[in-house]
Amino acid sequence: MVDIDWWGLIVPFAYLVVLSGTFMTFSTIYRKRKATQSANLAPWFGPHLQRNIYLSLLHMEPEANGSEKAAAAKTPKVPESVIRAALLRRAVEDIHRIIQIRTAKAACSSLLQRGSVGDDLWQRFQRAEKEMEEELRDVVMEANALAPNWGQIIFQSANEIAANTVLKQRLDEIQAQTEREKEWWEKRRSTIKTESLKKLEDESEKTQGKVGSEDEPVLVDTNTPSATPVSGGGSKKKKGRK
Amino acid sequence: MSDLDTFTLLHLRIDPQSKAIGSAGATAAGTTSRTLEAELAALNALHRSLHSLEAPHVVPPPPVPVNPKRSANVTKLRESGNAEYRKQRYGEAIKFYTLGLQMALTRPAWEPSQLVREEVHQLYSNRAQAHMQLAGWAEGAVDAEASVEAKRQGNAKAWLRRGRCLVEMGRLEEARDWVGKGLEVEGQEKELLELLKEVEGRIAQDKASGA
Repeated sequence: MVDIDWWGLIVPFAYLVVLSGTFMTFSTIYRKRKATQSANLAPWFGPHLQRNIYLSLLHMEPEANGSEKAAAAKTPKVPESVIRAALLRRAVEDIHRIIQIRTAKAACSSLLQRGSVGDDLWQRFQRAEKEMEEELRDVVMEANALAPNWGQIIFQSANEIAANTVLKQRLDEIQAQTEREKEWWEKRRSTIKTESLKKLEDESEKTQGKVGSEDEPVLVDTNTPSATPVSGGGSKKKKGRK
Repeated sequence: MSDLDTFTLLHLRIDPQSKAIGSAGATAAGTTSRTLEAELAALNALHRSLHSLEAPHVVPPPPVPVNPKRSANVTKLRESGNAEYRKQRYGEAIKFYTLGLQMALTRPAWEPSQLVREEVHQLYSNRAQAHMQLAGWAEGAVDAEASVEAKRQGNAKAWLRRGRCLVEMGRLEEARDWVGKGLEVEGQEKELLELLKEVEGRIAQDKASGA
């Protein structure tokens, strides 16, 4: 029988204990830190206002917790049409977010490959992507609950709404310039420069007689405000129209 | 939106008569409540427009088969505008085009935006032309720009019209940039090339006379 020398074994055992202890402490601390880090990652998007409104509407009455359809029917205060409108708004916002994610994806991944952005940005991005998927699925389910087969077309409608809103905004912006442009042109026309007047004269071959001296264009122009328009008339006529 | 299972409960109230949603109670910061107000206004507008749906539909139908009534109206207004234009009553033509634009732009938002672009770009382009006949270069320039915004490609006339308006207003540099951009989009359009040549000629002339 070999007599075990317990005292001699203490050293290797202690060594093992210390070693594994260190590893364990390290790994728990490391994991905890990582978890808090990813929990503290700033979300990609801000708060989803439309979603909050939609859910708030559903929860406006205490008994409105159950299935949306039944609840909405039971509570006369929130008509179903409002809920549907709110869900549609939510879908529109989702469309905006999807577009953002799609456009950001290529840029993000190439930046990451080049090492221009940190790892946590990519993590945030992936999380946003996953959340979006969940969100879409949720909206489709809600839509199907509100109206039969609405889930299949709600995002088509939302997509058109989003596109139309963007278009209308741009057009409104452009049309809003009209007044300013008109004012500017009036001012400009009254103080129009000598050269352009002279050129108009040449082009239109109008008899604007008195503009012999180039120093007083204002006089002629204010007297005959239609001088400028007439000049363009000839060249325009030939253009076709739709 | 950090968690999918939670949401922020907003204090909303509903107007029993109009069914309009409003925010109740004081929300925290001024800015958040302002965005909330804007969003609620949009929601109420959408809700009202949902009421215009015909009986069997409770939700917006798929965008593709379009209710032909509005398109027919828009086309009719454009035709009337064109007829007035041909009779050289440009003011009347502008009125018809403006009505047509209103009709086209108040189309329910869930109908295809491509269709809206198609209708709107023609109306804007025609209205620009009518403004040009009345020597409203500023309005013409704005309308032509709007037309291009609605449809960038295959819209050479609108590119040309804004270019012409800018030239008439003496904004030659701007006109050159604009027409150059138009050529990039439209390819070698003959009329645009001519206009560009003209603009460049005038710029050179200006320089020569200025020097």
